[in-house]
Amino acid sequence: MIAIGGREWALLGAVIVATILFSVASPYFATAGNAGTIVRNSTELMLAGLGMTLLLAMGSIDVSIGILMGLAAIAVAHALLAAFAPPLALLVGPLAGAGLGLMTALVVVLGRVPAIVGTLGLLGIYRMGVFALLGGQWLSGLPVGLTELMSSRILGVPLSVFVIAFAYLLVWLALRRTPYGPQLLSIGNSEEKARLSGVPVTKIRIATFVISGALTGLAASFYVANYRNVEMAIGSTLALDAIAAVVLGGTSIMGGRCSLLGTALGVILLRILQNGLLLVGVPSLWQAVVTGGLLIGVLALELPASRMGEMKTKWMQR
Amino acid sequence: MFTQFKTVLAASALTLALCSSAFAQDKPKVAFVPQLIGIPYFNAMEAGGKRAAQELGVEFIYSGPVDTNPVDQLQIVQNLIDQGVSAVSVSVLDASAIAPVVEAAKAKGVKLFTSDSDAPDSGRAVYVAQATDEGLGTTIIDEMVKRVGPDAKIGIVSGEATASNLNAWIGFMQKQAKAKYPKLTLLEPQYAGGTAQRAAQIAGDLMTANPDLKGIIAVASSTCPGVAQAIETAGKIGTVVGTGYCSPNTARAYIKSGSFGFSVLWDPAQLGYLTVWAGKQLIDGKPFAAENAVPGFASPVTYNADHGILLLGPPAVFTADNVDKFDF
Repeated sequence: MIAIGGREWALLGAVIVATILFSVASPYFATAGNAGTIVRNSTELMLAGLGMTLLLAMGSIDVSIGILMGLAAIAVAHALLAAFAPPLALLVGPLAGAGLGLMTALVVVLGRVPAIVGTLGLLGIYRMGVFALLGGQWLSGLPVGLTELMSSRILGVPLSVFVIAFAYLLVWLALRRTPYGPQLLSIGNSEEKARLSGVPVTKIRIATFVISGALTGLAASFYVANYRNVEMAIGSTLALDAIAAVVLGGTSIMGGRCSLLGTALGVILLRILQNGLLLVGVPSLWQAVVTGGLLIGVLALELPASRMGEMKTKWMQR
Repeated sequence: MFTQFKTVLAASALTLALCSSAFAQDKPKVAFVPQLIGIPYFNAMEAGGKRAAQELGVEFIYSGPVDTNPVDQLQIVQNLIDQGVSAVSVSVLDASAIAPVVEAAKAKGVKLFTSDSDAPDSGRAVYVAQATDEGLGTTIIDEMVKRVGPDAKIGIVSGEATASNLNAWIGFMQKQAKAKYPKLTLLEPQYAGGTAQRAAQIAGDLMTANPDLKGIIAVASSTCPGVAQAIETAGKIGTVVGTGYCSPNTARAYIKSGSFGFSVLWDPAQLGYLTVWAGKQLIDGKPFAAENAVPGFASPVTYNADHGILLLGPPAVFTADNVDKFDF
């Protein structure tokens, strides 16, 4: 589950190969400045992907995370406009996200709606929420307090990197050192068997949606810090990118298996490909093709056709 | 249920507007129906319309839907026609559905025309247009060259590749560069969709890939914040001039930080003024000339008789000097 396995080595290899190829093709790729750009562009996806890892491992999914991030970002933006201290504004994101995650859980878990259908419905509802809250106008040029906080350096490393590392560590501990990890994976393997063996299935499923919401909400704090802006279309590519990175990282879309390191490497590989392709002159329109193609490629290689049917039943059950 | 509630709301807002105007019945009434009430852009048009009404001696009625619902909008237009306004202008939401309302207006002798958003084949009296695609495309290149020189390299970050208006603007940028500044290098346009994250990512990568880049144009207004933020983050304020088609409220912080040199759009307050002026002309039965002197306009307003379009004029350029005078 967490140990370095074949998938992680393969991803690491892919990252290294991509780095070498792009370095040869473009003199601007292998520079400290560009490395910083890639890391900065990865922050929200690192966190949203972490939440998605848990959801997929549980055999569930949430396609509304992008717009959930948007709603949480509006909360963070208003906290900044109301002159909250930056550390407090940083916390507003995960708090708002956890609240929204609970709402998602109420619909999907307690309402017994299949996750893919329920979150698709919520996607529409949340999007209208963003439109209503923004009132036809974006929040632009937000105060710099949070930006300065996140880019402040400790031992030469930006605070944002520590926050992300801390989030990964917390989730790793929860998976490895508490009953939560085995219970989550057993639900992912078979919800029925998990229930029979005494796993508090409903509780774990609600908790996982809340945790994913909080992590996506933390991503919202990063978004506001990075771009000082909340626009109508915020997060519209987040769900696709997150699912692609997580699946690339070796977490099973069927549930029952997850890799945190794989997710992190998947995010980095995705962003390196997007960055490198533009640097060597491939039009940005192709970036979505790369993301989608990787997702399909990995799934086609991983899932024998017989298990595709199983996936369908699984998603329609939840 | 909700739709009914909205209709009631819109109707009561309308009644209120009509009641408050009951004292000045001798003046002709010019109405404007925006796409949506309560957003800064149309608020600015309303303010311009009010100013024109005062100066030109007409009564101005401003009423519109609470969300961008074409059915609600047509209902409001129909109500205004029934209430007996002399002229009504619409920023059209659904060009294909407005024809019956145009007929109803004609039957009652009400001058119906369009502003801001047109319905070309509806039989409307005139269209008051904010700017041409060509004007927007050439202005942004001319203003950019003023700041970075005629031999610079400039990047273009657009929104959706499918947006026809954005593609038209890019086309005129390329045309202007080719015709007037042969040494200017315009990079192939990149498409960022609607998020600040993608715009910042692409603008950042463009600057990395082209260390000699002198300017970046954010074509979709939604790409302005991302492009500006990328210039700030890369520490390229002063080396790379950002710009885009975005409102002063969106661009203000970036123009002040220096990541944006300027921003190009039109002034909706002037558009509101011209709308009421056009309504007055129609009521008075005065035909539009090829060039019209409008009070408060620096240059004459041109009229294209073939297409029935009254053009506001060249686009407005917002800079550090004037950005605070606008609120939309």
